[in-house]
Amino acid sequence: MNSNVASVKLVLLGEAAVGKSSIVVRFVSNDFSENKEPTIGAAFLTQRVNIDDHTIKFEIWDTAGQERFASLAPMYYRNAQAALIVYDVTKPQSFIKARHWVKELHEQASGDIVIALAGNKVDLIEENGENERKVATEEGQKLADEENLLFFETSAKTGYNVNEIFLAVGDKIPLKRPNDNANENGSGNNQNSSRVQLTDANANAANAGNCSC
Amino acid sequence: MGHKNGSKEMYQKDNTRGIHHSNGSNISLVNTLMKSLKVSSSSSAVNNPPLHETPVRTTSNDLRSPVRPVNGSGNFDAMAKQQTSAIRSSSSYSPMRYSSPSQSNSIMNSENNNNRHTSSSYHENGSAKKSYNFSNNANGTPKLNTYFKDLDEDWSAVIDDSNMPIPTVANGGISRSNSDTFSVPGTPINHEEQYGLSKKLTNSSIQTSYSVKNTSSNQYSYPQLPQLQHTQSSELKSKLELENEREAQELNSLMQRIAKFDNIVNDKKIVNQQELRTISWNGIPKIHRPKVWKLLIGYLPANIKRQEPHCKRKRQEYKDGIDHIFSDEHNRDIPTWHQIEIDIPRTNPTIPLYQFKTVQNSLQRILYLWAIRHPASGYVQGINDIVTPFFQTFLTEYLPTTQVDKVETIDPATYMTSEQIIDLEADTFWCLTKLLEQITDNYIHGQPGIIKQVKNLSQLVKRIDIDLYNHFQDENVEFMQFAFRWMNCLLMREFKIDAVIRMWDTYLAETSLETTMIQTPMIANSYIRTPTEQPTATFQNLNSPFNASGGLSKTMSSSADENNRASYSSLNEFHVFVCAAFLIKWSDKLLDMDFQEIITFLQNPPTSEWEENDIEMLLSEAFIWQSLYKDATSHWL
Repeated sequence: MNSNVASVKLVLLGEAAVGKSSIVVRFVSNDFSENKEPTIGAAFLTQRVNIDDHTIKFEIWDTAGQERFASLAPMYYRNAQAALIVYDVTKPQSFIKARHWVKELHEQASGDIVIALAGNKVDLIEENGENERKVATEEGQKLADEENLLFFETSAKTGYNVNEIFLAVGDKIPLKRPNDNANENGSGNNQNSSRVQLTDANANAANAGNCSC
Repeated sequence: MGHKNGSKEMYQKDNTRGIHHSNGSNISLVNTLMKSLKVSSSSSAVNNPPLHETPVRTTSNDLRSPVRPVNGSGNFDAMAKQQTSAIRSSSSYSPMRYSSPSQSNSIMNSENNNNRHTSSSYHENGSAKKSYNFSNNANGTPKLNTYFKDLDEDWSAVIDDSNMPIPTVANGGISRSNSDTFSVPGTPINHEEQYGLSKKLTNSSIQTSYSVKNTSSNQYSYPQLPQLQHTQSSELKSKLELENEREAQELNSLMQRIAKFDNIVNDKKIVNQQELRTISWNGIPKIHRPKVWKLLIGYLPANIKRQEPHCKRKRQEYKDGIDHIFSDEHNRDIPTWHQIEIDIPRTNPTIPLYQFKTVQNSLQRILYLWAIRHPASGYVQGINDIVTPFFQTFLTEYLPTTQVDKVETIDPATYMTSEQIIDLEADTFWCLTKLLEQITDNYIHGQPGIIKQVKNLSQLVKRIDIDLYNHFQDENVEFMQFAFRWMNCLLMREFKIDAVIRMWDTYLAETSLETTMIQTPMIANSYIRTPTEQPTATFQNLNSPFNASGGLSKTMSSSADENNRASYSSLNEFHVFVCAAFLIKWSDKLLDMDFQEIITFLQNPPTSEWEENDIEMLLSEAFIWQSLYKDATSHWL
């Protein structure tokens, strides 16, 4: 059944130290380390997931978060079919940065890129109480609704919603049909599917909102 | 040169990691040979048998002309001219020469290994040698002079043979200069091997005379061999002997180097910077490293009298700076402070030292003050990595010698006063400042220095290893995707910190004089960056062709060069060659990989356990590449 393997190029963006690398490591190796060295440039990882009757192979570029490296980002999101924008629910500044990334992607990236928004480190709130939270779930949800993003609150530390967000992205990707040999350069045949996906996106986002409350 | 004994056969092309050899001179010899290539007079090239015997690299494609610099001018031509017909007749330039050092290394390894085996454990054939050995021991406790004399001979043997232009170094630490009277005939490698024996002799001498180890000299006189299988105890004993011998040899070469450094750093009124660079290129003994680094980077003045007052003033300056940034006058740059704060615990997270609060606070202060004072770049991730070798090295100044190896696990707060910690921070801060001065372009907006380096790397690989370059193109691998980090962190993420520190001995020796000499128009490119090219008798002979071609290349590339000269330091340049050597090391593996495997491999190269001698091999390979392509790089841009 799983003879159809579709590759999905996904890029992670977000402010420094919000947990981009940790989310990927959790997704790829189901592992977590408290102090990860800051990513320099970008790191490349892959992971396969089965969705229904097909397999998606995520080819993930995990970019460096610091502003100084931002000029490299276009190289990685230019050909990406999906982006995961991460912020830290305890750092309002990181949410502002996330907004910037959404804007930049809409302006610069390919038109049918699937974007997901992840409010990471919710474990800190569970641990230290709601006072720790600086970005309300509603704020994230609102941004997602406005910009047509998938939205999850996640914790790389506990693994909460990490697989879910990638699966949701995989669901939403306009997949090539088996007889579609063309690579992702065929933007024409993607238009259809992306239009279809719009409704899905809202449904997904709504679900996510429910989950995280 | 490696005073470590274990020398790994590390040439990865054969995909084999060899056994440990215990001949400490392997690496140094290879270094010597490689360096001799750089300044190769025709005689040195002729005299080095391994160069002739070198098997040509198997992939014949890249032996062809595309490998040559497009515009074969400058240093390359000079090099080519100086190559003997012997080398030339092998019909290829760089790849062969690349393979030659590594291959010849493996040859030499095995030769040396055999020899060691012979000298230490062989019975019949080695009787002459052994009787020498024996009689010498029988002479009773050898005197210090004997010890040094042996060393002198040993050293001049290496140096004379390969025409190494560093006789000053050879005698540097040794007040007696009887090497003048000593002449070395004939073939270098074999002699080196023979002298390996005398070295061992010395080892036993030193052991007894200094009674460093609790062993009698008899123990060394007649080794019992595992092969003879007399009894199990004799077997054990001989193993013990071998081990002791190895230790002694290690100690021997270490002391030798320490003496040389002592001589340069302490025994004169003014430190000879050139000499210091030359000797440091091959590694600095731990006990000298803090001071030598400070000298190399230009933090400590060469005038010994001025060192202390200068140091005092700089430390005070740092204290004032710190006082200022923690006073009310200073509006804290919150984003910068915050960024540093989150990166500090993530710096070398696997080393206990960097988890101590004292250390984290120190690094935070150093990095923040640096960032505030350098607004054009500000704090950039990676600088937190670059500060650590300085910090860790300077820490060892405050540890008792016996504890130096434990620097990574002891909390400095347990052995340092807060005053001392601030002094340490100050030294670290200023040295970091000096180093980053030379690579500022790596960290300013857009990071042009790194972009340029990555571009240079790709161009270099295109010429050195066209197969690999084409493969990357076919697989859509961009150099930026893996090499950015190599440039941004000076390859620090690829190696463990001990190896990085060893690498920095060479890096610091490569770089810093440039900043003071950069304005001097007299100095040709080739001159500045090569620590071995001291004006010695040997080198003088070579001088004219070198300068002539250097001048030529200068005029040809001056316009392109001039803009870059100041910003594109020799550190950056040498680093590109190191990266090229590093990449090409895996060429055969990479050729069989697809995009995903290539990127994954290069992100996690199997080098986290690399030892000092692996690093030394890499540096030597880089040195060769640099000597071949240095002046050509300016044409590629």
